[in-house]
Amino acid sequence: MAQTTMLDTFPKYLLLNAERFGDRPAMRHKDYGIWQTWTWSRQLDEIRAFALGLQALGFSRGDKVAVVGANRPRLYWTFAAVQSLGGVPVPVYADAVAEEMAYVLDHAGVRFAVAQDQEQVDKLLSFRETIPALTDIVYDESRGLRDYPRERLHDFAEVQAAGRAALAADPARGRAWEEGVRAGSGDDVSVMLYTSGTTGRSKGVVLTAAASVKAALDTVRFDGLTEKDSVLAYLPLAWVGDHYLNFAQGYVSGFCMNCPESQQTVAQDMREIGPTFYFAPPRVFESLLTSVTIRMEDAGRFKQWLFRHFIEVARKHGEAILEKRPVPLSGRLAYALGDFMLYGPLKNVLGMSNIRVAYTAGEAIGADLFSFFRSLGINLKQLYGQTEAFLYVTAQKDGQVRADTVGPAAPNVEIRIADNGEVLFRSPGQFSGYYKEDDKTAEVLTEDGFIRTGDAGFFEADGQLKIIDRAKDVGKLKDGSLFAPKYIENMLKFFPNIKEAVAFGDGRDFCAAFINIDLTAVGNWAERNNIAYASYQELAGHPRVYDIIAGHVNEANRRLAQEPMMAGAQVARFLILHKELDADDGELTRTQKVRRSFIADRYGELIEALYDGSTEKYVETEVTFEDGRKGRISATVRIADAAVHGRPARPHAEAAE
Amino acid sequence: MNAHPAIGPALGQPDASDDGIAKGEVLLKVDNVSLSFGGVKAITDISFDVRKGEIRAIIGPNGAGKTSMLNVVNGFYTPQQGTITFRGVERRAMKPHHAVRQGIARTFQNVALFKGMTTLENIMAGRSVHMHRNVFWQMLWHGPALKEEIEHREKVEEIIDFLEIEHIRRTPVGKLPYGLQKRVELGRALAMEPSLLLLDEPMAGMNLEEKEDMSRFIIDVNQQRGTTIALIEHDMGVVMDLSDRVVVLDYGKKIADGPPDEVKNDQAVIDAYLGVAH
Amino acid sequence: MDFLHSILVKPFADMASAPDFLIQVLWEGMVSGVLYALIALGFVLIFKSSRIFNFAQGIMVVFAALTLVGLHERGVPALLAVPLTLVVMFFLAVGIERVVLRPLVNQPDIILFMATIGITLFLIGFGETIFGGENKRMITQELGIPTGSYIFEPFGGFVSIEQKDITAVIGAMVLVAGLLLFLNKSKMGRAIRALGDDHQAALSVGISLSTIWVLVWFIAGVIALVTGIAWGARAGVSFALEVIAYKALPVLMLGGLESVMGAIIGGLMIGVLEKLFEIYWGQPLLGGNTEVWFAYMLALLVLLFRPQGLFGEKIIERV
Repeated sequence: MAQTTMLDTFPKYLLLNAERFGDRPAMRHKDYGIWQTWTWSRQLDEIRAFALGLQALGFSRGDKVAVVGANRPRLYWTFAAVQSLGGVPVPVYADAVAEEMAYVLDHAGVRFAVAQDQEQVDKLLSFRETIPALTDIVYDESRGLRDYPRERLHDFAEVQAAGRAALAADPARGRAWEEGVRAGSGDDVSVMLYTSGTTGRSKGVVLTAAASVKAALDTVRFDGLTEKDSVLAYLPLAWVGDHYLNFAQGYVSGFCMNCPESQQTVAQDMREIGPTFYFAPPRVFESLLTSVTIRMEDAGRFKQWLFRHFIEVARKHGEAILEKRPVPLSGRLAYALGDFMLYGPLKNVLGMSNIRVAYTAGEAIGADLFSFFRSLGINLKQLYGQTEAFLYVTAQKDGQVRADTVGPAAPNVEIRIADNGEVLFRSPGQFSGYYKEDDKTAEVLTEDGFIRTGDAGFFEADGQLKIIDRAKDVGKLKDGSLFAPKYIENMLKFFPNIKEAVAFGDGRDFCAAFINIDLTAVGNWAERNNIAYASYQELAGHPRVYDIIAGHVNEANRRLAQEPMMAGAQVARFLILHKELDADDGELTRTQKVRRSFIADRYGELIEALYDGSTEKYVETEVTFEDGRKGRISATVRIADAAVHGRPARPHAEAAE
Repeated sequence: MNAHPAIGPALGQPDASDDGIAKGEVLLKVDNVSLSFGGVKAITDISFDVRKGEIRAIIGPNGAGKTSMLNVVNGFYTPQQGTITFRGVERRAMKPHHAVRQGIARTFQNVALFKGMTTLENIMAGRSVHMHRNVFWQMLWHGPALKEEIEHREKVEEIIDFLEIEHIRRTPVGKLPYGLQKRVELGRALAMEPSLLLLDEPMAGMNLEEKEDMSRFIIDVNQQRGTTIALIEHDMGVVMDLSDRVVVLDYGKKIADGPPDEVKNDQAVIDAYLGVAH
Repeated sequence: MDFLHSILVKPFADMASAPDFLIQVLWEGMVSGVLYALIALGFVLIFKSSRIFNFAQGIMVVFAALTLVGLHERGVPALLAVPLTLVVMFFLAVGIERVVLRPLVNQPDIILFMATIGITLFLIGFGETIFGGENKRMITQELGIPTGSYIFEPFGGFVSIEQKDITAVIGAMVLVAGLLLFLNKSKMGRAIRALGDDHQAALSVGISLSTIWVLVWFIAGVIALVTGIAWGARAGVSFALEVIAYKALPVLMLGGLESVMGAIIGGLMIGVLEKLFEIYWGQPLLGGNTEVWFAYMLALLVLLFRPQGLFGEKIIERV
């Protein structure tokens, strides 16, 4: 008599969900303009067919399968299908260039690759011969692939068809597959997620099944997610955020994942789906706010007035109402009217009408930006997480939310601050190590099993963690003042006109910064002020743009001056870079984080110019176009001074030594 | 580079245009055509053919008579001399909408779209040739008419998917940037499922990236849908990569005809493009 | 003071003191408004699909009504005369397309406008020659249109509503609804809209210019006939009707040349407002007869502030 098996793998949850939520939607995908829906029982059917098809292709236990592409049902099914056979899915960033992808596939030793479309298949084919382990490639969309040699290249539908045929010929195989799933062990590796890595090669984070399930159960309970919830699955498949928030939480809670039609239709698809659980990095909220602001600036005067008026009402009462704090009746009435006139329609346009829980993480978020969305009645919170933790380290509780902290430890997570200020944690979902890199694993583990996050932070009086920077990036100016570059950069980036900033100052006399303007926001300003420009470069160098940015830097300095810890490192000089920082040029990671040391190398001359007192500098820079070709751009970059508050002005050049 | 080696007809996906002409046979034949406007000769005694399944380019410097040639083929102009044979039938004077019905679709150099309508409506308009239910059925608006509408919508959605314009499905095309308008126009022409697709300077006014996108779409249309394409281009580079055979016009006369590599090295062509005096 | 009082206060006091009379005035205004709207609709359709400002729309109303009555006078039964008139209007549309429009393709707008004046003159001459110029009675009863009136007594007052007016309003509503359905849902209707949007594009998707033009002019003819019957039933059939048809011009200025909804709302507005003005301001203060010019003044005022009309489409173009 079979015992009730422990629910310690995702495929076990698949079987359970097909039973308990059989007729409820598990997956939707907009295709040919229509939302196609799969219930949990149909999803089980699709996954089983693919798993059996893989078996027919010679899949064996322990095989690793790369998953490459955008958020498509079939790619998500691949995860569960591979897990159901005791294999390990290895999602890979779809926008990785062939070289990066080859490294990951080779390092992981993948045997199969499931790719979305021709673009990805081309990449895989370009290096297939160099990776001995990689035998077969399966693709989802056949467009453009019809005439490719079929050797070791398979259509997803055909693999499934083979699986279905095998099942029809011998129904026992279906039962055997289910037995296999039930026999699966929580100690099996569930997935390997390659970090995008701010420095060096990416590492394969190995996550085991039972730990992953446990972590997901904790947060699902924490936010009360159920099978009635739904999410829009639009985050990169290979990122821990997507795998955790959508896949892992979806399987344990049974909610519905909705795959957008394409990357460009995400906003429309979101409007149509109206998810109840939502995650977006701060920059997404920022661009949403920018687009709302721009639309409002084009609106009629009455509408503008209405907008300003009700946003003011929301600012006053919105967060209090959201947190169920006492609010005067007049405030409630004004807010209710505002909800009818503005917040409701606005949330509807943004696809946020149904949101119960929303998170942001990955970067610091501006207090104004954060409050704006919360004041509309959206329960936006912050979390702090890591791939190594299988996401959650901290999370804010409903009603206890602040913009400048990331919340207390998530359920069952222990946190401790090391002497050097580094945040250490131990969590239920934590990884079992970096794949084939025991030395690196040892580096991040403490003797008592805590994991070093590499981030510096401290606990505030209310028990919420505040992250200030990467631990290794925190440095000191020559006079000993603390220099936390990211903290300064974030202060600058809270201005909508500033898209990216890179601060320098460790071991220097003063702090200085590179700035990237936001082409949408500044471009819009230029349009309204009849300033013609042909390129980013031209706009970036415009004197009036410099004036605007100087104002922002001044304001950031004023705010820095108010914080005793940070007041020493105000931005004394800055320049606006002649090109946008770009992941294709290696300046940003694939998750759009600044690669500081790379930038310091690449723009060494400009940094020197910041510190030697020059007012402009001629530079030539190599750039990579979207199609992979390289070119050079050159520019004379102006360097400007900024006002510093609360301390004597410094020389704007370092003393010659 | 020959962008697409000879590839057999689409497996599994039948050629959209069922015109009874086998691949490689002559689909359109232009014989000794001359056209003049009140004494000004636009085209003089031009002959060439387009074979089923190929990408045929008509190139030449500005004012060479390329667009006039296209307008003759699709019935905007009736030539004073010469004959045009399409799908084996010699054609008399005809109107553009007859050409459409015979299976010739085209795009325009300066984009002719229904600017007030959405992308979807524009491409649906391309289906109108294939709609059969009459006014009264449509007014009753159910049964067969609805079913037909759904079938057309499916075809249109395939095209939208093909051209990757899902995100602008409901946007009025007047608001779209030029490169996307060109794509929508191509979509509308595709919706007609033509035997012969005429493209009038499909890359005009585009930046490099848009040109590459458009080239890819043209090749995909040709390979995957099996559509025969005749295109006019001013930009030699693009054409040479795309087409199977090239006709070169200059001052309304044909000066060369052949595969791209051959044409590229033809002295007359080089002279014409360099502007050597005649 | 008295003057201001008589403009700003007294008219409204009058309205309030005799609500039954106000209802009567509003109803009368609405009936003429419906008819203005119909004529304007004819203009809009032709303008939308061919950019022609059809000066002949007014005379087409007269011509259609005259044909109907004339056929009946010559012994054709009324119910047969209607389809026959439609046949005549159809051939008129074909004739106009063949003789006038086709040879003038690609000519400047002003030439085509002049051509429609030519059509007007032709129809006047042709109509008079065949049917004579004298005032005729519309064959209301023969068409089965009820002629009695309903009496209401709201607020203890008295309102009389003529059944033929009700018929006209209902008929107009059915016609407009059908037309909107046709324009928005049918292949031909879409083709008409397409042609209005971009000529070249319309040709390239296989829309036949001549077919659409004939169709549009025929629809304008049908509208003309309905208008002619309704108006003829009130005022008799004569060339004087043409003058009333020109009321469509201010309606168009108000509603915009291209908006079907604009034509309908504009027509109703002018009908109602000119009646109200005549009764409450015109007759007591200006000695009456303001209906002749009021609509034009109103249109001028609107044009001052919104050159595209109240409902006209702002043309969005990316250059």
